[in-house]
Amino acid sequence: MKLKTRWANFKDWIALPGGFGIFSGLTMLVIIIILGIIIPNFGPYKSDAFVGEPFAAPSLKHPFGLDQLGRDLMTRTFSSVGVDLGVAFLGVSLPLVIGTVIGIVLGLAKNKYVLSLVGSLIDGINAFPLLIIAVAMLTFLGSGLKSIVIILAITNWARYARISRTRAVVVSKQNYIEAAKTLGYSKKRIILKHMTPNVSSETVAYALSDFILVIIIISGLSFLGLGAQPPTAEWGSMIADGRAFLTESAGLILFPGLALCWSAVALSFIVEGISRRDRGI
Amino acid sequence: MKNQAFRILIGRLGRALSVSFWVMVISFAIMRIIPGDPASARLGAGVELEAIEELRKTLNLNGSIFSQFTNYVMDLLQGDLGTSLQTSRTVIDIVSSTLPLTLYLIISSTFFALLLSIPISTSIAWYAKAPIVYAFRGITAVILATPNFFIAMVGILIFTVRVNWAPVFGYDPQFPQNFKFLWLPILVNTLIMTSVISRVLFSSVTETKEEEFVETGIIRGVGRRRFFWFYILKPSMAPTVVLLSYMMGTMLGATVILETIFSLPGIGRELVNAVLTSDYPMVQGILLIFGVITVFLSFTGDVIAYLLDRRVKI
Repeated sequence: MKLKTRWANFKDWIALPGGFGIFSGLTMLVIIIILGIIIPNFGPYKSDAFVGEPFAAPSLKHPFGLDQLGRDLMTRTFSSVGVDLGVAFLGVSLPLVIGTVIGIVLGLAKNKYVLSLVGSLIDGINAFPLLIIAVAMLTFLGSGLKSIVIILAITNWARYARISRTRAVVVSKQNYIEAAKTLGYSKKRIILKHMTPNVSSETVAYALSDFILVIIIISGLSFLGLGAQPPTAEWGSMIADGRAFLTESAGLILFPGLALCWSAVALSFIVEGISRRDRGI
Repeated sequence: MKNQAFRILIGRLGRALSVSFWVMVISFAIMRIIPGDPASARLGAGVELEAIEELRKTLNLNGSIFSQFTNYVMDLLQGDLGTSLQTSRTVIDIVSSTLPLTLYLIISSTFFALLLSIPISTSIAWYAKAPIVYAFRGITAVILATPNFFIAMVGILIFTVRVNWAPVFGYDPQFPQNFKFLWLPILVNTLIMTSVISRVLFSSVTETKEEEFVETGIIRGVGRRRFFWFYILKPSMAPTVVLLSYMMGTMLGATVILETIFSLPGIGRELVNAVLTSDYPMVQGILLIFGVITVFLSFTGDVIAYLLDRRVKI
């Protein structure tokens, strides 16, 4: 019997449900992350350096042209990758951890009053559209990317907690948890080794799709002037800056917008691929 | 059976009311949980103590947290949401003059989106031709991953900069003229709503198709129109209605950005202005209104879904 080559294995993997989506999404994501590392760090220009005439058309030296202040648009577009994806990563992982932990604790808690109190607090927070509550809280916290991460941590956990709690109730009734209890394992060990991995598979899956939403929220808030502050290059605020110069140059809006779309579409292909693989269609 | 349905609906109403209570608590708390005094933060350094004290009084920041909350609730029960610090109009007054435009925007785009997505998704799901299904999935995924402000900016680039069909500044509230300012934002909203709704409708029609009663309907030779409305669409609508009520809430959030782009005098733009000018009572009031509307929407959505399909858990 001949061993399968790596290439044949890979082809089989792609042919499974959702394989193509996961593969193309990952490729798109890796491409933009690599460009986001190389161009701002090793490219010829700095993202906030004035290098020529404002609104210069795309040329060999400046493939995307120059912006309204004469900064290199390509460098700025790709230096936003780190800002947007980095802030979004924080804005997803903090609520993910907080929400999963709170959900597990709620799933195991027996005190009825605590349960209904925290349960309805979660419903109350979830009642607000995320963008609205974020905008409102920014009034009191002050604009900026740091405030956005804080706000996401204190509001978005509720969505994770709801998922995690439902899941924790189901998991805690499973036989393997009963078995672990019978074996006399400590509560800590049961929670950490047996509950958490099974609950978090669900919340992590949600986190992936939430990542897209959070990128859109971050860039949307920056678009409104409440997020990234100048001279930080960030897609949303670059598009907002470009609004005033639509007749001079459409590139000011199109390049950051397309980069933003590219990243979000990459993520959504991955999410859809994974969910199709799970369902096997 | 009837009795049970009634009990379920009353239970759902109770939950809506208790969530509304928490929405109120959160709107109350939002000004108070953040460290520092909002009154002095707004007035800045070098202001007399009396001015700060005065503002604290207007903002209902004096006394114990409990008495502040009682005051807040008492004011709310009398329909008093406070007074804008910027324009000295009451918050209720501003909300009632700006909210109709926002609701008009959302309701009309939902209507058009339903009109478009019912034929699109049922026909794609019914015939289930692989290439078309892939194209449908791909296109809707791209639209959903694109932020609404980028779609709006591309729309402006095409319809305002290239051909002057959609003015982005100014607004005329008179009926036939206002459509000139509204059609592009409605189009953007409709595009996004259509992608969401048709995706969900697509997957529920795909599921309904496999049900046994559909086969029975075909064998019994039910008329085309009756077959489409009662055998395919009605059982598939429940998940769509739940999603629709949720999406209308999200759209409420999205209009904040759309109204700012198209400079429409709706409640969303009012919220952004309030945030930029630190108009605390306005922010608090609009937040409460948004929360209550969302709770009401999701309640209505759940009830309609339950009435359409008793298997739905609400």
